Amino acid sequence: MATEAAPMDEKAKRMRDLLSSFYAPDPSISTSNSSISASFDNINSTSFDADQYMDLMIKKSNLEVLLQRHVQMAAEIKNLDTDLQMLVYENYNKFISATDTIKRMKSNIFGMEGNMDQLLQKIMSVQSRSDGVNTSLFEKREHIEKLHRTRNLLRKVQFIYDLPARLQKCIKSEAYGDAVRFYTGAMPILKVYGDTSFQDCRRASEEAIEIIIKNLQTKLFSDSESIQARAEAAVLLKQLDVPVDSLKAKLLEKLEQSLDGLQIKPEEASKLVEHDDSSNDTESNDQHPAKIHEDAVRGFSEAMRAYREIFPDSEERLFKLARALTAMHFENMELYIRKRVSAADFLGIFRIIWEDVVLMDEVLPEAALSDLSAEAAQVTLKQFVARTFSHLQQDISDTLLKFDINQKEAVEGEILKVILEASQKAVLQGTTNIFQDFRQLLDENAGIFIKMRDLISGWIQKGFQDFFRSLEAQFLVLSGKTSASNDIEGKSSDKIHAGLILVLAQLSVFIEQKVISRVTEEIAASFSGGNSQAFENGPAFIPGELCRVFHAASEKLLQHYIDTRTQKVSVLLRKRFKTPNWVKHKEPREVHMYVDMFLHELEEVGKEVKQVLPQGTFRKHKRTDSNGSNTTTSSRSNTLHSDKMTRSNSQRARSQLFETHLAKLFKQKVEIFTKVEFTQESVVTTTVKLCLKSLQEYVRLQTFNRSGFQQIQLDIQFLKAPLKETVEDEAAIDFLLDEVIVAASERCLDVIPLEPPILDKLIQAKLAKSKEHNNNTVSS
Amino acid sequence: MQGGSSGIGYGLKYQARCISDVKADRDHTSFLTGTLSLKEENEVHLLRLSSGGSELLCEGLFSHPNEIWDLACCPFDQRIFSTVFSTGESFGAAIWQIPEPYGQSNSSTLECVASLDAHVGKINCVLWCPSGNSDKLVSMDEQNLVLWSLDSSKKSAEVLSKESAGMRHSLSGGAWNPHDVNSVAATSESSIQFWDLRTMKKVNSIERAHVRNVDYNLKREHILVSADDESGIHLWDLRKTNVPVQELPGHTHWTWAVRCNPEYEELILSVGTDSAVNLWFASVSNENKPSGSPVEASRQRVNPLLNSYTDYEDSVYGLAWSSREPWIFASLSYDGRVVIESVKPFLPRR
Repeated sequence: MATEAAPMDEKAKRMRDLLSSFYAPDPSISTSNSSISASFDNINSTSFDADQYMDLMIKKSNLEVLLQRHVQMAAEIKNLDTDLQMLVYENYNKFISATDTIKRMKSNIFGMEGNMDQLLQKIMSVQSRSDGVNTSLFEKREHIEKLHRTRNLLRKVQFIYDLPARLQKCIKSEAYGDAVRFYTGAMPILKVYGDTSFQDCRRASEEAIEIIIKNLQTKLFSDSESIQARAEAAVLLKQLDVPVDSLKAKLLEKLEQSLDGLQIKPEEASKLVEHDDSSNDTESNDQHPAKIHEDAVRGFSEAMRAYREIFPDSEERLFKLARALTAMHFENMELYIRKRVSAADFLGIFRIIWEDVVLMDEVLPEAALSDLSAEAAQVTLKQFVARTFSHLQQDISDTLLKFDINQKEAVEGEILKVILEASQKAVLQGTTNIFQDFRQLLDENAGIFIKMRDLISGWIQKGFQDFFRSLEAQFLVLSGKTSASNDIEGKSSDKIHAGLILVLAQLSVFIEQKVISRVTEEIAASFSGGNSQAFENGPAFIPGELCRVFHAASEKLLQHYIDTRTQKVSVLLRKRFKTPNWVKHKEPREVHMYVDMFLHELEEVGKEVKQVLPQGTFRKHKRTDSNGSNTTTSSRSNTLHSDKMTRSNSQRARSQLFETHLAKLFKQKVEIFTKVEFTQESVVTTTVKLCLKSLQEYVRLQTFNRSGFQQIQLDIQFLKAPLKETVEDEAAIDFLLDEVIVAASERCLDVIPLEPPILDKLIQAKLAKSKEHNNNTVSS
Repeated sequence: MQGGSSGIGYGLKYQARCISDVKADRDHTSFLTGTLSLKEENEVHLLRLSSGGSELLCEGLFSHPNEIWDLACCPFDQRIFSTVFSTGESFGAAIWQIPEPYGQSNSSTLECVASLDAHVGKINCVLWCPSGNSDKLVSMDEQNLVLWSLDSSKKSAEVLSKESAGMRHSLSGGAWNPHDVNSVAATSESSIQFWDLRTMKKVNSIERAHVRNVDYNLKREHILVSADDESGIHLWDLRKTNVPVQELPGHTHWTWAVRCNPEYEELILSVGTDSAVNLWFASVSNENKPSGSPVEASRQRVNPLLNSYTDYEDSVYGLAWSSREPWIFASLSYDGRVVIESVKPFLPRR
């Protein structure tokens, strides 16, 4: 009662509190219940102290309030009194009514027992009656049940017996789904009794099922069926406990095998592209390979789509297959570009592959084929660029070497000129072609290419840089200047024709002056992108550096040419000076033949130089007509000139060493070793100068008797005319020839020069002889 | 590259080919040089660099009976040297002693200690054993190699062994290995040959035609420098002789002689018939030894030629580093001009 939670007014609440304090002896509970109003001045709380309250009242309030309070409290007390009285009265009332009720109950209970007995009897009789009915009907019911069971059994047997026929019917109507359902339904019975009663039946139905399986399998394998049909077939087969996995494996294998057919074989690749092009013109071609290929790939991707639906668990395998196909494509592509392939062909193949990839990607987007192929395409493309450059380099060196082999047969012709022009053309044409090719690459709009455009530009720039660098290295190797890293090449430096070195030198100049600037322009025009991102270390193509490289190379090569040429002469001279005993030399009878050989070498240099190098801007003396008649006059004029020289020479030879020194002091120092220029004259002059210097040095190493000295004098005198003919720097040649004579005189024990008439006579004899020799060779 | 006018010059009277550092003179930087004149009285000049290094003084002038083709100083006695000379018709080699006291008396005659007269052909050079105090000598003519034992007190030289290199080879010069006193390198027509003096057998060779001069690197074992007529200077590692370790372009005309600096292993001098002396920086870097700073390395890669001294009138044949002051070298051109130069500005920083 006290815990009843309902909104109540002040009075009721207080009542309840009081009651609860009355009923519950534990004051703590009552305080906790009335804790809300439990305060210090709460008159209802147990801890209420009347004195304290009184004090507080007196302190707090004035008389009026106190009086009011007094009246209020008195009224409340009166109220409480009446309430209490009421409560006692009500309780009493209730108690009296309870005693009344107990009395009434006592009187009602009598007579109940008899009713109960009656009820029991009736129930008993109902029980016995129902038992009776039960027993009377039991037998019949049992019989009915048995009959029913038998009938079911019979129906089943009937079903099993009918099974084969039914299956056949299903086969006929291709209702394989029903057939499988029937069969699986009959399966448990057949399993149990198949060996005894239903043997035939089982066999027949198994046969039918086998047919069904076969049919289903063919259905599964046949590509003409719809995917749904095939998927159903697969599901049915699975229900029939046919090992589907092996089937799947087989199917996928088949798919894998079909990959071979899809390969773009390197041999056929070009055909694919060719026909692709030609088909545009001639529609008569029934089906070109590209179309066939496309269909095949489409079929393949369809199959993949099908299998994916049929065997949802086989995705991994399909991914693998698709990746394999892509990888194979790119591998084949790599094989393909190993041969020489134009960019158009390359792009053709690339497009086909990309289409394939797109097709497959549609079916298997999860396989990330496009990423894979983008990567592979990058690699392939990079290789393609690299290969294109290496092909060009190969072309150039082929051009150079091809002619070199022919050299031996066609010495007379202007073979060097031909080589030079051919190789210049090869370089120019090659770079132009490369640019065309690469521009095609850039113009291509296939998906990957757009992404890679920057990269391609970078590669091309870097490609050019590397190309020129390696070309320079190859030039040096070809010239024999630097030996190839491995000596397997077997080309010793003597085998390399000197002319080739000259051609290489001139070609380097050509590249430096023409090709590199052109390439720079082209790159700036079309391939300027890609620098900033791909190559942090500045632009990949640095024309300035390349120019420098080729400039250095050209100079090196030219020097090398001169070196190889002078080396030959040097060997000649070495032999000449090592062999005889100069101290016991006999009187000179004729001009020694090494002079002829020397001049012949020079002539060859002149020939080569004329073919390859440009003429100098100025020549000191011009003898444009070099006919036979003119040579005699020129030689005559030379003899006049040389007379003077001989005289001066003999005088000088007689004079003391001191005087020659003095003469040297007054003579301007002749610059012998000047820088070689890329002109015919400069090269010839340098060669002659170096040879004469060698001659001087060889002379200085010997000691001569009078005749030895005279021999040298004669030889040098003879050399003078033809050398001046060929060389632009007459002063230097004069100086060097004089130096040889001076050196010989210094190294001579007994200096008495030949008399000029004798000298002249011997020279004329030599000239006549060589002329005769020339005539002979011409006539023969 | 200008011809340095910094050089100190000295003029010989006649033409000359050879100059040698007086290694045994520990107190002065001295060079010995001899003239090459067929007809005049030949002289041997003892030159000394003044203590300030600003003047080249003639400390002694001695007449020599014949023109001098080769001159080498004894490494342990500053008064003794060897010459190879020619009368014009025949060659000879001898050991000479500078008379005592030298310096004051000009044109005094040389004392002949011993005559190395076991040769018949053209003698090329006399090599002193580089070990410092050994009395061994090697003399070479075009076909033969002769090992001598010198007894300067008894004034005699004794042939210890003699071996023919064969007619074909035609020896032209050589160098004694400072790292192995039993090994001598000899240049021949077609190769550089290495002889073992104990057995007097050829033990090894580098196939290289027309080598004019060789020199061992004093600081780096196994490194040999060779100079060719045509193809410049090559550095060889004697352990792998099929390919040169490094190539230097050499001179415009022949490279006549080449000398490694006795102190700074990277410095090589060469002289040539283009009237120039070239100073090279050639570090044969091997992997285990990092070669200098990257700046230096790049400089070397750019151009190994440190300097070219071109202030000569004629071909330069004679070349010698001073062993006392290793940044000083003497060069001798054919017109008899001795030039002393210092390479101090080019010394590698250490």
